[in-house]
Amino acid sequence: MTEPPAFDTPLPDDNPWQPLPPRGALFAAFGSALSMALLFGIACLVPMLVSQQTHWLLAASAAALAGALLGAWFGWRRHRLTFWRLDAQSLGVRRGHMWQSESHVPISRVQHLDLRRGPIERAAGLATLIVHTAGTRMNTVAVAGLAHADAEHLRDLLARQLDHDDDAL
Amino acid sequence: MTDLPPPLPGEEQRLHPWSWLFALQQQVQQFLLPLLALVVFGSRRDDDVPYHHWISTAVVVALVVAAVLQYVSYRYRIGTDALSIRSGIFERTRREIPFARIHNVVVHQNLLHRMFGVAVLRLESAAGDKPEAEMRVLKLDQALELERLIRHGGSTAAAADADPAAASDGQVLLTLPLPELIRQGLISNRAMVVIAAAIGASYQLFPRQVTSDFVEEQGRHAFGYASQLQLGTLTLVISSVLLLAFALLLMRLLSIGLAIVQYHGFRLIEIDRRLTVERGLLTRVRSSVARRRIQAWTLREGALHRLFKRRQLRVDIVGGGQQQEQDGRALKELAPLATPATCDTLLQHLLPELQWPPSQWRPVTSRGWWRLCLPALVLTGILSAVLVYETGRWFGLLPLLWLPWSALNAYRQVTRIGYSIDAQRVAIRGGWWNRWWRVAELDKLQALRLDRSPLDRRFGTATLTLDTAGAGGAPPLQLRFLDEAQAHALMAQLEREMVRRKLRW
Repeated sequence: MTEPPAFDTPLPDDNPWQPLPPRGALFAAFGSALSMALLFGIACLVPMLVSQQTHWLLAASAAALAGALLGAWFGWRRHRLTFWRLDAQSLGVRRGHMWQSESHVPISRVQHLDLRRGPIERAAGLATLIVHTAGTRMNTVAVAGLAHADAEHLRDLLARQLDHDDDAL
Repeated sequence: MTDLPPPLPGEEQRLHPWSWLFALQQQVQQFLLPLLALVVFGSRRDDDVPYHHWISTAVVVALVVAAVLQYVSYRYRIGTDALSIRSGIFERTRREIPFARIHNVVVHQNLLHRMFGVAVLRLESAAGDKPEAEMRVLKLDQALELERLIRHGGSTAAAADADPAAASDGQVLLTLPLPELIRQGLISNRAMVVIAAAIGASYQLFPRQVTSDFVEEQGRHAFGYASQLQLGTLTLVISSVLLLAFALLLMRLLSIGLAIVQYHGFRLIEIDRRLTVERGLLTRVRSSVARRRIQAWTLREGALHRLFKRRQLRVDIVGGGQQQEQDGRALKELAPLATPATCDTLLQHLLPELQWPPSQWRPVTSRGWWRLCLPALVLTGILSAVLVYETGRWFGLLPLLWLPWSALNAYRQVTRIGYSIDAQRVAIRGGWWNRWWRVAELDKLQALRLDRSPLDRRFGTATLTLDTAGAGGAPPLQLRFLDEAQAHALMAQLEREMVRRKLRW
């Protein structure tokens, strides 16, 4: 157990990392702006009401606006910095700028798949792919804002392996 | 009811005739608080309503009828490779449970069950929080026979071939004699948890005002008594220290008692590649799991463990859920307490190709180790600032004394992180004051993640997380402070190994 088996030369990255379609960024920014605005607005409103300040509406609106701008910026950037990749062995998802993370789910470990499309996503031709594994902390890996065609393609590719698994009942 | 035939494959069978009683008992247990509330708070006000006795009687009758119906409608049949269960009157359910999908088998007997010579049999698969089947109740012999059938995958031929005596005995790997139980009680200090839970429950059960009034009154009594005695400061300090020591002693004694109740007669048995744990003084639990169903192995050694030169060996298994873990029914503790040598031998025995402990742990980089004491720095900083601001005295700075310890702990912790990968398994160790070791098979890894925080990027490090099934409650299989290039290489290597292997539950 002393030396791990020597590293092979890394496989050539046959599939480059794919960005999400840009049209989803607007929705991501909007959604994030909305939640941040609510958060900032309420966080500002509560102490002002408690201490009975006079200009609580103005201040809360200003805080909400600041939250919205910040949220929009974060949402936009998080969306633009989310990438996915499917190669012969696994599905990879990479996200984040300050806090970066890269998740890999080997195709053989996929338990089942969900494709979710809300009304807004349907209108924009987008979809959310949710990959379930049997793991504990990473039991779902979700990619929101995929192009619908990409998401279906991914689902079919990943699901095909499930059919090959002769372990199924 | 004593001359029931043994369970024969292929025939539809019922539960034990007394089952309805235990179904009733469970229902009553579930509704105990509401029922109690009804009786206590309801009876006073309803004196003028003439029907309220009838209502209570109707509720009781309904519960009994439901329990009897449950018994009447519940049938099971042992097939060649599956167990099928029919239940329900209005909404009928028929459930097929393939033996190959059953991960854990639990035979559970509380005091009442033992008086009647019956047991509850629970079958758990990998799915969900609830057991796949809960057979409440079977005759003890029948439950053990069914457990044996499942162990042999339902094939009666194999079950019949095996020498019954040898099959039922197996090989005893570990027992816990009384001195070990006492040590376990001292180390675990479960009484603290129990008392905290009891206090929480009393706040929920009784109206808040009553509880706090009670606490206040008792406090005032005690204080009044103390001031009546007119003690000097020194005497007061000494007596309160003595009182505290007495409370701690009582707590430890209670913990020892709890450990004896929980682990009395503990036996870890290996019967043809299945591990079985039996334990309990009042409630007897016998749970068994196939060795290949074990997802990961954890060795733990806290500071108290070290003092007694003991360690704890736990395993992760799928299914059972959090509730089972709290009830202590699921087989999670292979060795609640054993010497390090015994733990090593056990691991070596159960994982034959594993070299344990590994001859060399590969270290991670210790660049920026002080990051681990950042939370302590922030917390003690805030605390000190508040204390100094409030009191204006120098002793507000006392919390900062925690920092050297925290720094030492952080440094030791980072230098102790290590990993080791062989052809089959990955092992990770961590912690310093409270140490842990984790071993997982490569074909039981589920997913990988690489994280980099801003500080990680500043120091060129990364965190690699390996995910396995059923790992709740155990330290994560996580390597912090990996050199970035090393992390990427390790991730690629693990991924290739995972891809090469099929997932085996």
